[in-house]
Amino acid sequence: MIQKKICMLGGFAVGKTSLVKRLISGIFSEKYLTTVGVKIDQKSMSVRGQDILLVLWDLYGDDDFQKVRASYLQGASGYILVIDGTRKETVDVACRLHELAMKTIGPVPFVLLLNKHDLVDEWVVECPVVSDLSDQACLVSMVSAKTGEGVEAAFSALSEAMLKS
Amino acid sequence: MERTGRSSPTHPPSEYDKGESEDFSALRRLLLSPEQVQLDRLRQRLDTFVVDAQEVSRVLPDAIRLRARQDNRLLASMLPITQEALALSIKQSPQIISDSIAPILGSAVRKAISRAMREMLQSLNQTLEYSMSWQGLQWRWEAWKTGRPFVEVVLLHTLRFRVEQVFLIHKQTGLLLNHVMAEGISSQGEAAISGMLTAIQDFVRDSFQQGQDEGLESLRIGDLTVWIEQGAKAILATVIRGTPPVKLRDVLQNTLESIHTQYSDSLQNFQGDGAVFLETRPHLEDCLQAQFVRKQKGVPVVFGALSALLLVLLGWWAFQASVNHQQWTELLKRIGAEPGIVVTTIQEEGGKTVFHGLRDPLAVDPDRLLEEVGYSPHAVGFHFEPFIALTPEMIRKRAVTGLQPPESVEVSVEGSRIILKGKSSHAWISKVEQSALTIPGISEISLERLIDTDLKQFEALQVELEEHAIFFLTGQGRVPNRELVKIQRVKSILQELDRKAMQLGRQPFIYVMGYSSPVGSHPINLSLSERRANTVLEIISENPFHVLKLSAVGKGVDPEVAPGSGKGQVYSASRRVSFKVVEPGITQLRKAGARTGS
Repeated sequence: MIQKKICMLGGFAVGKTSLVKRLISGIFSEKYLTTVGVKIDQKSMSVRGQDILLVLWDLYGDDDFQKVRASYLQGASGYILVIDGTRKETVDVACRLHELAMKTIGPVPFVLLLNKHDLVDEWVVECPVVSDLSDQACLVSMVSAKTGEGVEAAFSALSEAMLKS
Repeated sequence: MERTGRSSPTHPPSEYDKGESEDFSALRRLLLSPEQVQLDRLRQRLDTFVVDAQEVSRVLPDAIRLRARQDNRLLASMLPITQEALALSIKQSPQIISDSIAPILGSAVRKAISRAMREMLQSLNQTLEYSMSWQGLQWRWEAWKTGRPFVEVVLLHTLRFRVEQVFLIHKQTGLLLNHVMAEGISSQGEAAISGMLTAIQDFVRDSFQQGQDEGLESLRIGDLTVWIEQGAKAILATVIRGTPPVKLRDVLQNTLESIHTQYSDSLQNFQGDGAVFLETRPHLEDCLQAQFVRKQKGVPVVFGALSALLLVLLGWWAFQASVNHQQWTELLKRIGAEPGIVVTTIQEEGGKTVFHGLRDPLAVDPDRLLEEVGYSPHAVGFHFEPFIALTPEMIRKRAVTGLQPPESVEVSVEGSRIILKGKSSHAWISKVEQSALTIPGISEISLERLIDTDLKQFEALQVELEEHAIFFLTGQGRVPNRELVKIQRVKSILQELDRKAMQLGRQPFIYVMGYSSPVGSHPINLSLSERRANTVLEIISENPFHVLKLSAVGKGVDPEVAPGSGKGQVYSASRRVSFKVVEPGITQLRKAGARTGS
């Protein structure tokens, strides 16, 4: 089975872990996020008849207290950039992390997820704001970790893109 | 076969055509002869193409290698041929194959049989050992208590180390290349674990600013150890239960180096497809080593000796404790029963057991009691105040101490009365009479059954003396010679009597009484009897007496002999002197005719 390492990137509390939890129930505790800075889970998927094992590196949200370790990005075949639609500042964090990823692992497929679509009324982020990222992403999707909207599809899309690359 | 040109398939050649063709051929020969020759040779070579073995042998190894890299088709093509060739060879010349594989087959068979036998014996030994032994029973109890299988409990207790899982991890991506587990081990999320191990290494490396080639070498959690071997492109992580030997590191390193050598390109170009690394399974399984605790033969001997020693010590301790207990009980019993000792309290003082109470000075020494019961004098002390005990035993003891009776006297006490039985001297009896009542606790003396030996002797002498008689001849006042011996005996009796009387504090009178026969007149007989008494008195008074007082008395005719009735024999018995002892107040004497002598 093909294995692919995927990193979940995004600012603090944008919903990365919730998105992963929506997909799978992992074996590691979330305390690793605040201690080691990463929690890893695995998810088997089938994309266009091809079995793939996604190894998800859920990285601690980039904030003033802790920065994403570049070493955790090494070897990733793709990543998921998560933005909180209700917090504009998470866009800047996403941009910065995207730059870090480009610098560390080069141009690999990534998807851009605007989370908390269930709170769309409170959204302050508009698509044009993220247009630069959108152009490079293989998929831009509005998702909701709470309702599960668009989550599976986003991972499938990234898997497909990684298999093609 | 047409070689030189094309001909029309529809028209047969005419004469003209034939001449023209020959000309054309001649021209062609003139113009293209050299090339034509070469062309003909090439054509001939192609038509009669034969593979040149030498040429093929030069390219064959490289060709096979290159083809094998592309896919498995060459292998698939060769497989049936090889199998058929091998089968044919075995069928036609079995000896060749037999000779070829004999060196390895023999060794392999021996090894396999040996291993199978060893495993079977070990299994049998373990089954017997752990089923029948005390330890086995304990483990069965533990298995029952914890709900775990017995085999698992035995494994945990007998395992020195066991490699339970081996992870082959791609270093750059942290993705799992291959994974093997020991029998009975279950695992989940190997890919995630692989990633987490990599992440932790990155975390440690970043945190302590170590180079890419550095990394965690081991992790330890309880009984589990994770050893991590770092390679250039892959990591070998092993999960080990127990305490692994250092040489296992060598095994892991060799395995990792071997994998790097064989799969260098695959590791370099790894894009997530781990199929090629499935072939590393034998390498990884070599790392699944285990070692069990060997039952050392020496240990049971030592254990047995220690157990025996412990039993001996325990037995000795129990024996000592029993003896001590018996001695202590005996001591308490003896002290409690000992007259003249009253225990009021027993206290622990300065590591000693101290008896407090009262003790009569005449009571037994408590230290002597300790010696008698064998109890250690270092463990016990006594603190007794003196007192006078009025128990019969102590009164008797006090009487014996004060009166010091002779062995022939038995002393007993009833209440406050002391009873003396047996024989003793008159002097001791006098002492008892004087001092017995001064002894505390004694208010009465009983001497009824105590015989005064001096008095008895005195009385016996008195009787003996009175039984003696000195006989005289008819009309004679002189002592006949034949009676002198008797006189000597009387004298010694009197001496003894004098001594005894002095001891008894008595002053008896001895009457020397003279008698005559009835023959003759009364005055003569009276005179004769007086003379006879005086004669004897003079003889027996030759030595002075201390207390005896002697008197000679003439009794005249013996009153027991009636006049005229006697015969010669009877009358001779009346011519005599007899003796009578009289004590004042004890014997009434006839005063008449008495004469005092000394």
